[in-house]
Amino acid sequence: MSQVEETLKKEVTKLFEEETIDLFVGHEAAGVPLKTSACFLSSADEAKRLVWNASCATNLAAYLPQLFKRPGGAKGEWTAPKVGVVAKGCDSRSIVGLIKEKQIPRDRLFVIGVGCEGMIDRHKVAGALGTVGLAKAKIDGGSLQVIGTDGTQKSVELAEVLADSCRECQHRTAVLFDVDLSETSVQVPETSRYADVAEFESKSPDERWEFLVSELSRCIRCYACREACPNCYCQECFADETAPKWLGVTTDLSDVFAFHLGRALHQAGRCVDCGACVAACPQGIDLRLLNQKINKDVEELFGVQSSLSLEEAEALLCFRMEDDQSFMTEP
Amino acid sequence: MTKKKDEKTSGNGWEPRIVAFLCNWCSYAGADLAGVSRIQYPPNVRVIRVPCSGRINPLFVVKALQTGADGVLVSGCHPGDCHYISGNLYARRKFALLKSLLEYVGIEPERVQFSWVSAAEGVRFAEILGKVIEAVRAVGPASKMVKELEEVT
Amino acid sequence: MLEVTLDKSRLQELLKLLGTDRRLVAPVVDRLGTVFSEITDPSLVCLEAVNTNLSPKEAVFPQWETLYTFEGDQVDKAELQIEETVLFGVRPCDARAFELLDRVFTWDGVNDPYYLKRRERTLVVALACNAPGEACFCTSVGGSPASEFGADVLGFDLEDCLLLRALTDRGETLLNSASSLTTAATEEEKKAAQNAAAKAEKLLTPVAVPEDLAALKESFDAEMWKELGLKCLGCGVCAYACPTCHCFDITDETRKGVGRRVRSWDTCAFSLFTLHGSGHNPRTTQDARYRQRVLHKFLYCRENFGEAFCVGCGRCVASCPAGLDLRAVLERLASTAKVT
Repeated sequence: MSQVEETLKKEVTKLFEEETIDLFVGHEAAGVPLKTSACFLSSADEAKRLVWNASCATNLAAYLPQLFKRPGGAKGEWTAPKVGVVAKGCDSRSIVGLIKEKQIPRDRLFVIGVGCEGMIDRHKVAGALGTVGLAKAKIDGGSLQVIGTDGTQKSVELAEVLADSCRECQHRTAVLFDVDLSETSVQVPETSRYADVAEFESKSPDERWEFLVSELSRCIRCYACREACPNCYCQECFADETAPKWLGVTTDLSDVFAFHLGRALHQAGRCVDCGACVAACPQGIDLRLLNQKINKDVEELFGVQSSLSLEEAEALLCFRMEDDQSFMTEP
Repeated sequence: MTKKKDEKTSGNGWEPRIVAFLCNWCSYAGADLAGVSRIQYPPNVRVIRVPCSGRINPLFVVKALQTGADGVLVSGCHPGDCHYISGNLYARRKFALLKSLLEYVGIEPERVQFSWVSAAEGVRFAEILGKVIEAVRAVGPASKMVKELEEVT
Repeated sequence: MLEVTLDKSRLQELLKLLGTDRRLVAPVVDRLGTVFSEITDPSLVCLEAVNTNLSPKEAVFPQWETLYTFEGDQVDKAELQIEETVLFGVRPCDARAFELLDRVFTWDGVNDPYYLKRRERTLVVALACNAPGEACFCTSVGGSPASEFGADVLGFDLEDCLLLRALTDRGETLLNSASSLTTAATEEEKKAAQNAAAKAEKLLTPVAVPEDLAALKESFDAEMWKELGLKCLGCGVCAYACPTCHCFDITDETRKGVGRRVRSWDTCAFSLFTLHGSGHNPRTTQDARYRQRVLHKFLYCRENFGEAFCVGCGRCVASCPAGLDLRAVLERLASTAKVT
């Protein structure tokens, strides 16, 4: 158990004992290696369920808005519970965004910030194992030791299996917190952000189209990307609307493109590149190709990154007279 | 249903089909002015009037491409002149991102264009529209985002 | 029934033969492991993974299909054209799932012509497992690594050869057509196949599965569903990866009076699944929906079809983005007569 995990458990125990919170949202071990599951603790003695490691990839912010909604059928007075949550940099940015969009009341939320050096991408581990299933995994310094279901052992560089969003991450500590458990030595990498997007942009239009066709034709319309994303909290998603019916429900390529383009555009100025969508996708589709492109454009055109502070307006909720319009058509 | 498909090959008498979303107060009025001034412009456009360019949901553009539009033009009031004060200023940001994203995925940039046309600019409207139609003609019939309904699995 | 042996060096020839005048669908390498894919080049077939990422149910129940097309009030109900297909390398859990799906799509005498036509035109050559996968538990739900349900032929991987056992008349015909490549299976080889199956069974970790239907009914009001509902994201990964899930939606896609009626995969995990036209939704919270998924598979389907609708393939466990583990849920349900 890491030092941070131990401190986290103590902190959560204290929060319950001092009645600062009614509920705590954290990570607990799941039934398969390298996976965790969100847990919802309601007392101090449940704190022992908590874990903190390189498999805590879930963006817990996605679970928060529902906790502050009045339950259907509740009669009379109802006050929202006081909810605690553990947040990495990206999670905390999502929380900032949700507070600004009035989905989470700041005064009912207690954030324990943690430092993060990157989360393991299970798809990449699967790729490294090839056709062999994953039986066990262990982090050993800078490498990940894996044992396949056939008994074979393999060692992979941790850096090789970190999620892409983590490789480019510039916000490794929480931007909003009530308590900060991050250690001061959390490294910020020198890699240029948006390198993945820039590389894609350097291809020809037809190459890009063909690549996206082969990538998105893997989509099975399961909506895991949408459900895992903290920003997708609409009661009725545009993809499900029938009046008007924006797009069909099948894996017809035109509809698949329409869905992913639509979702990416709805993330404009809001996506924090947490990688939850990529991690959730059962087909391993690289959705960051779309979302990060929009993030890059937002930063280049409007000079902002999503959700870094409560005071800054979201990019699409404000404007400047001098906004770029070089893309517009003149006679 | 098959007839439509044959039509859609350039050089087969194919004509570009442009959908134009025009804001009621400026661009639509500008287009109307072009009409009453008898300014000739090609007939390849279907106009959809919206209250403001800020009304444009990017999905309108995506939907137009899906239903077979070869090109889309969205036009509103000049910045500073929006009837609703700032609708076009919010829209400008959305349009920039939409255009960039569509081009990024490989859709020809000529197919989706944006402009500012005021109520007094009948000539400008005709010129811009003409430019869009010719640009789309040069890239040929749209195929990438088109949703075909004829196929039977 | 007929049992023959094929030297592994002749596998490519067998696949080529099976694919003659037929579609050949088999596992090929994919970035996440293997995936069933239609192939023309047999050398692409990869049988090394215990199982594919998604189930092969798409062969008989595709993610979407057109039921019919229409123009105005003219409905075009063209005869469904399905090419004869060989589905090769299906694991016994997935093959058994076909047998379960057969019951659904012929339930109460209502025969689904789309499913049945595909099923009838698809020959299933299953391949027994020598070891379990990431989250397998087939034996805990009435299956086995060498189950003979739902397939036409069952193959056993015996290191340097494959033993192929016909399970149906169609299977026997298929094997006879490849007689130039095979030899009659020896008693030794048959024994080796039996041993391989027994060995694989022992390697499985058993999961306690609730069998007491009355206790399951009572679990409806249990507290345990609340936290599970909070964890569940309400996406479609488990249902879409699952070989026995079969719910679908029917929608129309039209443009100016011309269109098609399609059916596509749906899942009870979606919040809109039970939304009525009136606006009422009997399952408004995710705990009710998650409970529904589990009870449907392990209670209602037992009541309707006599068997649980789970073949223990483990895909839902491996793929769930929320980290939910069906095995843990089942153990909890099975552990006490009265569940809390």
